[in-house]
Amino acid sequence: MAKDKNKAKSKSMSSGVYIFAALLLAVIYIINTLLVESIYSNNSKMSTRTSQSMNCLNRINSELSEINMDTLGIAAGIKTDMAVITDDTNRRYANIKDAENTFRNIQDVTPDAMRRFDYAMSIVETYKKRLDSLGTGVVESGDYIEMGYILKQDIYPLQISASEMLTSTIDVMSVKIASMMKQNAIKTYLLMSMMMIVAILGEIAIWIFAKRSKKARLELDERERSLAEVDAKLKATRQKATDLAEMNVLTGMKNRYALDNEISGRLESERFNIAVFDLDNFRSINDTYGYDFGDEYLVAVSDKLKEEFSSVAEIYNITGNEFCFVFNKSISESQAMGIVQNIHRVMTSPFEVLNLNVQLPCSGAVYHYLPGDCLNVNSLLVKLDTAMRNAKMNGGNMVNTVMNM
Amino acid sequence: MNKKRKGVLRALAVCSAAVMMMASSGCAKGGPGGPGGRGPGGAQQGGKIAVITKQQLSFWDDVKKGAEDACSELGYELIYTVADGDNDYVSQVAAINDAIKKDARAIVIAPNGTTELNEAFEKAEEKGIKIININSLADYDGVISLISSSETDGGGVAARSAVKALAANKYDFTKGVKVGIIGHTASTAEKRIEGFADVFTQQAAFKALQAGGMQDMGAAGDAAQQGGDQAQQGGAAQQGGAGGAAGTAGSDDAMGAIIVSLRKNIVEGERCAKRDDAKAQAKKLLGTDGNGINVMFGTTTNTTLGICDAVEELGLAGKIVVVGFNSDEQELAFIRKGVLNGVVVQNPYIMGYVGVRYAKKVLDGTNVPNRLDTGATFVNADNLNDPFIQLLLYPDSY
Repeated sequence: MAKDKNKAKSKSMSSGVYIFAALLLAVIYIINTLLVESIYSNNSKMSTRTSQSMNCLNRINSELSEINMDTLGIAAGIKTDMAVITDDTNRRYANIKDAENTFRNIQDVTPDAMRRFDYAMSIVETYKKRLDSLGTGVVESGDYIEMGYILKQDIYPLQISASEMLTSTIDVMSVKIASMMKQNAIKTYLLMSMMMIVAILGEIAIWIFAKRSKKARLELDERERSLAEVDAKLKATRQKATDLAEMNVLTGMKNRYALDNEISGRLESERFNIAVFDLDNFRSINDTYGYDFGDEYLVAVSDKLKEEFSSVAEIYNITGNEFCFVFNKSISESQAMGIVQNIHRVMTSPFEVLNLNVQLPCSGAVYHYLPGDCLNVNSLLVKLDTAMRNAKMNGGNMVNTVMNM
Repeated sequence: MNKKRKGVLRALAVCSAAVMMMASSGCAKGGPGGPGGRGPGGAQQGGKIAVITKQQLSFWDDVKKGAEDACSELGYELIYTVADGDNDYVSQVAAINDAIKKDARAIVIAPNGTTELNEAFEKAEEKGIKIININSLADYDGVISLISSSETDGGGVAARSAVKALAANKYDFTKGVKVGIIGHTASTAEKRIEGFADVFTQQAAFKALQAGGMQDMGAAGDAAQQGGDQAQQGGAAQQGGAGGAAGTAGSDDAMGAIIVSLRKNIVEGERCAKRDDAKAQAKKLLGTDGNGINVMFGTTTNTTLGICDAVEELGLAGKIVVVGFNSDEQELAFIRKGVLNGVVVQNPYIMGYVGVRYAKKVLDGTNVPNRLDTGATFVNADNLNDPFIQLLLYPDSY
């Protein structure tokens, strides 16, 4: 029973470990997925924004350099159709403005990058203003020296500076993006190592848990075993106590108390044969040879009686030298009478005790008990003792029969 | 017993599977986003960049501002040193050595000397430090790039503005133009004056030709007149590029003659560094009534201010076209008063910014142009309040 319980317990414990492991796995997976997802979407948002802004900046830069190529063409005398060039320039400038608006609408451009962009656009504005202020007069005047100066000293440095500031804006954004990417990468690795640590800790926890539950199970087993031992010891002790209570210490035979216990239940309903015997003048032995001798003599008699009659009757040593025989159920009335004669013969035979051959007479009484004869063991014994005393009073060394009333 | 052990092992196996799953999902997702560092500008960032300038002037303060902005925006640490004057190469050598000691990755320097810094440059180069020049060029092979504003072009811008101002005053160029120049003591003065003189004489000569040649010039004047006629015909005929080119070719001789004559009318005072000295030199040239001078040109802040002082004192404001250099507040005040027609302003902020940016590019392994002209802008009362001019004058206003 106890073992079964233990098994059930250990089963529930190991299933607990599995549930814990599964929960841990689920939690780790969910956290991990969420965080990785957020970093990933962050990154992809950032790269979208970046490519958008790079597009704008590159568009502005290339339109600006196209415009500059036109002015270079004019100065070199290659391009002369001013109306076409003016239209072209205005169209390109509109593109620049368009790209500028797009850039300004991109979210989360850092203040640094916006500042650089503002600087660049301020130069672009000035550049356009200067182109506009030149008009077509210089070109029409054919003053190529002046055109050269305008190009070299006014237009070109502005275009160069604007271009530098535009590409610087790209650089500034790239630096920020690189640092953000780096941060994200660090975040990712931190996250992964954290998760790894959590998982490892989880594993260790499960391991410790499992080990502990195993240890607890072992301890429980041990305790139950020792409990069983104690129980067994207790039972043995109790048996011993009972034995002591029901046994004559000297002869090792059951005592009066045992007799009482064993046959009081049978008085109402059973018929059986019962006899008592008592050595006549046993006191003279004690008086003559001492109590030790008397005890030894009793032991010798009881040993002999056990040897001869324990197969046919339960023998009790109910007082010092009085023995009671409850015959087995299988023994009939006549058989009992024969056995009683044998008992008398054995008890009155000589015994060698402490190198002395001693022989004592004995008297007895036998009772063919019928159900309901006696109310209790006491009255039964009174009947037997009375019969036996009658025998003794009539000279002893004989067996009397209790008469049924 | 055996069963229990198996259970524990199984639990461990499940957990390992969880870890592996997590790791694999993390890698798969994290990968394309770019923690691998393949993003734009993913090259190695950071480190120190040394910026070394010439002397304690507002011009170099603006260079410093540009360098500071570039460093903070591009993720570098700035080591800034300013020398004690534009001949003080000793401080600059010390600054280069300091940069080497501090493990700077690049040096952006406005060299106070042509060859005096070479030994220090060599040491820096041995350590793998990249060298960029700003403002002026050192005579050293390892200089990767020069970011500067051309001094001759600066002079040219001043000259063109002066001619424009004269033309706006309806000046009769056929009378010839007398120019007074007060130069400063440093080497840049030479180039500014040279640029000014070249462009001024050309432009004035062209105007004179357009107006019909020059008076009192004898044969040269006649030749000029003829050339001028041809040029006008060529221009007026509007025969496309070829006609224009022929006109220009035809006027070359005449132009040459006028230019020679105009050059004779350019007078220079003694070179000086201080405002008072410049004023004295200007007064010497102007006499009491201007001495027939139409244009005064100062090559630095102090010389320009000296000229303004003299012109104002002599009551010649408005009668003489005065052009100068740089953007000191007092110069701007003279512009507002009408004494000074305008000043040539370079863009030191861009110089500092681009200097650092080019250093970064070189460190990233990108090619940079070996020369970059950041240009010069003429600032006068008309454009003083333009956003871009304000940006030039006050680079930290953004």
